[in-house]
Amino acid sequence: MTAALTAALETIVGRDHVSPVSGQPAVLVTPASPAEVADVIRTTADAGAAIVPVGAGYRAARLRGLGERRRVHVSTERLTQVIHLDETSLLCHVQAGLTGLALEKLLAPRGLSLGDYPPGILGSSVGGLVGVRTPGKSSARHGFFEDAVAGVSAVLADGRTIHTRVAPRRSTGPDLGRALCGSEGTLGFITAAVLRIHRRPEARLLAAYILPSIDAAIAAAFLALSEECAPAGLRIVDAAEAARHFPAAGLVPGEALLVAATAGPTDLAACDRDLIASAALAEGGRDADPAIAELWWRRRTGGEPSPEPGPQLQISAAPSALRPAYHAIRAAVPGVHLHVSRFDRDGAVIFATFPDGEVGSASAAAATAATAAGGWLLGVRPTALDPYLVALRAQLDPRGVMNPGALIDAS
Amino acid sequence: MAVDPDRVRRELEAIVGPRRVSLRAVDLDTYARDMWPRLLLARRAGAPPAALPTAVVWPETTREVAAIVRAARGLGVPIVPYGGGSGVCGGVVPRFGGITVDTKRMAALRGINADDKVCDVEAGLSGERFERELARRGYTFGNFPSSIYCSTVGGWLATRAAGQLSTKYGKVEDRVAGLTFVTGTGEVIDTDGPRRAFGGPDWTQLVLGSEGTLGIITSARLRLNPAPQLAVYRGFEVDNVAVGIEAIRRVLQRGLRPAVVRLYDELDTFVNGFGHHVDDPAARAYRHSHAPAPLPGEGALPVVPPPPPPPADDGPVGRLLALARRARSHARADAMAALLDRPGLVNRVVGAVAEKIARKGCKLIIGLEGARLRTEVEAALTFAELERAGARDLGEEPGRAWLARRYAVSYKMSGVYRDGAFVDTLEVASSWAQLADLYYSVRAAIGRHAVVMAHFSHAYPEGCSIYFTFAAHADDRAGSEARYDAIWRDGMEAATRVGGTISHHHGVGMLRAPYMAGEHREAMAILTALKLSLDPDDLMNPGKLGLAGARWRS
Repeated sequence: MTAALTAALETIVGRDHVSPVSGQPAVLVTPASPAEVADVIRTTADAGAAIVPVGAGYRAARLRGLGERRRVHVSTERLTQVIHLDETSLLCHVQAGLTGLALEKLLAPRGLSLGDYPPGILGSSVGGLVGVRTPGKSSARHGFFEDAVAGVSAVLADGRTIHTRVAPRRSTGPDLGRALCGSEGTLGFITAAVLRIHRRPEARLLAAYILPSIDAAIAAAFLALSEECAPAGLRIVDAAEAARHFPAAGLVPGEALLVAATAGPTDLAACDRDLIASAALAEGGRDADPAIAELWWRRRTGGEPSPEPGPQLQISAAPSALRPAYHAIRAAVPGVHLHVSRFDRDGAVIFATFPDGEVGSASAAAATAATAAGGWLLGVRPTALDPYLVALRAQLDPRGVMNPGALIDAS
Repeated sequence: MAVDPDRVRRELEAIVGPRRVSLRAVDLDTYARDMWPRLLLARRAGAPPAALPTAVVWPETTREVAAIVRAARGLGVPIVPYGGGSGVCGGVVPRFGGITVDTKRMAALRGINADDKVCDVEAGLSGERFERELARRGYTFGNFPSSIYCSTVGGWLATRAAGQLSTKYGKVEDRVAGLTFVTGTGEVIDTDGPRRAFGGPDWTQLVLGSEGTLGIITSARLRLNPAPQLAVYRGFEVDNVAVGIEAIRRVLQRGLRPAVVRLYDELDTFVNGFGHHVDDPAARAYRHSHAPAPLPGEGALPVVPPPPPPPADDGPVGRLLALARRARSHARADAMAALLDRPGLVNRVVGAVAEKIARKGCKLIIGLEGARLRTEVEAALTFAELERAGARDLGEEPGRAWLARRYAVSYKMSGVYRDGAFVDTLEVASSWAQLADLYYSVRAAIGRHAVVMAHFSHAYPEGCSIYFTFAAHADDRAGSEARYDAIWRDGMEAATRVGGTISHHHGVGMLRAPYMAGEHREAMAILTALKLSLDPDDLMNPGKLGLAGARWRS
């Protein structure tokens, strides 16, 4: 870092909010306002350095391919205001640095919530939730997390601030906010978002079933979904994983456990629960102890630790590819623990845990097998569109200032 | 920019053969316009189109479209995509000439994946044929615009269209799994893939709504629902618009998803004649000759249960026009008889009279459809919530009456134009918190120039759209156009001022282009960047969507 750039940054955000990053040609800057973000970006760009956005999930591993280029890590840690809570329209305008969990804490006393998103993802800051398209940000009831984004504020590479305007839907060209969603800070630095929020459900009902096979369990899930059942959570656990996570269920090899949470107005939650029960029955299933579902829910919401660390591989699959992908993984890595979750109308996600042996090679084998069977490794991108993404970046950021190491290596 | 029409013809014929290219005057004239009312004003006055395409071409494959775009690039002429021609914003007007690409020969429903509930459909398929074919196979896409008989799937996607059942099924952009489109450089791109797996921006959402300015959509993978097992339609009445808005908001925010929600303001309630049928044989004959109502027994558009015979009524636009006619010809006949040329007075008088006549207030049509069990439960919860909010149940009849004539309205317009007046519709949307403001502001803005009525439809948990219908009159073309432009200018500016969007589902085209800067402000930088990335030569539908088209203006 040059002393001149560091000094300039200190002038903008104050001496206390600029610190060196050890082992890297970088400083960490913590602006207090979107206006300071804009000044930081302008100053950094003029100095020929790069901007790296940093949220709650700050990981050095992301900073690949930057070589010795000087960089300014811009943290959203101090951008934690709720700018406006519109309880009439159920919209929450919030700055990018607030984490999902912190926002949930503010919403809960008002009977509001971000929605059915798995609590596991909500440790991320709003900027990360919006700016990075990662697995698991979907629910059958409330859709993909991007669907919750009604508006985005961002600072572009030239220091201009844009606000995409809020409307329930519009027909005035492409959805411009969607350019920023998933752009990982390469097209703009997200400073705030307007999120669609929900009233907390009047009822939540939990149930568990044992199905004769994983195929029967998956069929039951999609049967219920095709009857428009919209569960708050639905998980299918295979016998190998259930033996570790839910031993009380007493699954014999080959069987599968299906746990479900339904929510909403009481009558609707009961309707959805009954649809799942009928679907499980139709596929040859039987009731399991509801305590199993309650245990699942407590773990899911962080009330109780899980017996294993988190899954090491996640494969997304359309409904038609789900069973082939599951069996491909199971055949490739016999010892694997698997569950299927995050069901919505586009499909579901298979989560794999490799309890023994070398995780790296097992994971690679499972990924290869699942991909061949029609699954998608999370995080892949259709490379046919890369030239257009490069062109779009060149238009919005001709000097290559904005997170140049992300998405596509700009070099 | 001089371009040799013969050279254009030769190059296009080299791609598609001689039979699918036309430079005939009648074709060029036909493809010079869509259903934008401002163009109808000029046409009524006998004026020729302001701009004509150089040639019209009918490709049959994506590969041909790509070759046509590359040819246009070599020739240095614009490309304008054309679907059904049902647009109401001038989106297909060839402002700077060039090649108009009609997609209607790419009209295959290629396949339905029953497991994934996704179909692969070509852009030129007409909406009517699409839904009929899906219904035959037990599915629905769920998009039922009143233009369904004359619009194409590609047109829907290019404009982010909405149908009458959008509150349940979503607008079209909510139902797209992937697109195939040809960029301005003549490359073919697929945007398919599971949303949750991919990093980077969602290109599907960046192409939807681009109105041909970024590329031509040639096919799409669209999400389907099973055909509804049950449909429940009912009418309610509320004391006033505010009570109705609040009732709808409560329903949506409880997580209930009716398919249809329509709240008519006082004048729209009156003009729609709920319960006041006018038996006019001429109007009936006119409707039956012009509005292709679904016929039972031939795979009709899925209406469950089948509609009863349409009531003898001329429909809302006809009644609005009748109001206008009576106002003009019997100036002192009754309280309705204010002059259409003095719309402010008409709006006040008619409003007052309508309120007196329709003492019961505003009508609300609500319909639910879908899977049997869930629809039954949601219907019970929805009706109970409406009653708690102060709505009174009118039974099934008003709902059935709406269903029966839901496609008729668009076929009323030509009569209005023959009579020297004009009618248009203006749809806007906002969050619930701004909705009353939006309604009163836009209504007042339009009401200075025209008789105006409105209904609220297309509801979401966070807001709702408002659909204004207005009628006005001036003595000649220049006067009509001036009044028309003033209505839109004031209406659009009012919508932007109170924080609404200037269009919920009709799109931008030429009509709203001047208001795009107000709509998106600094975020227009992203649209401009997209344009330069996907269409660096500014070939694709130039001069639309608020993009300058500077290359062609010299």
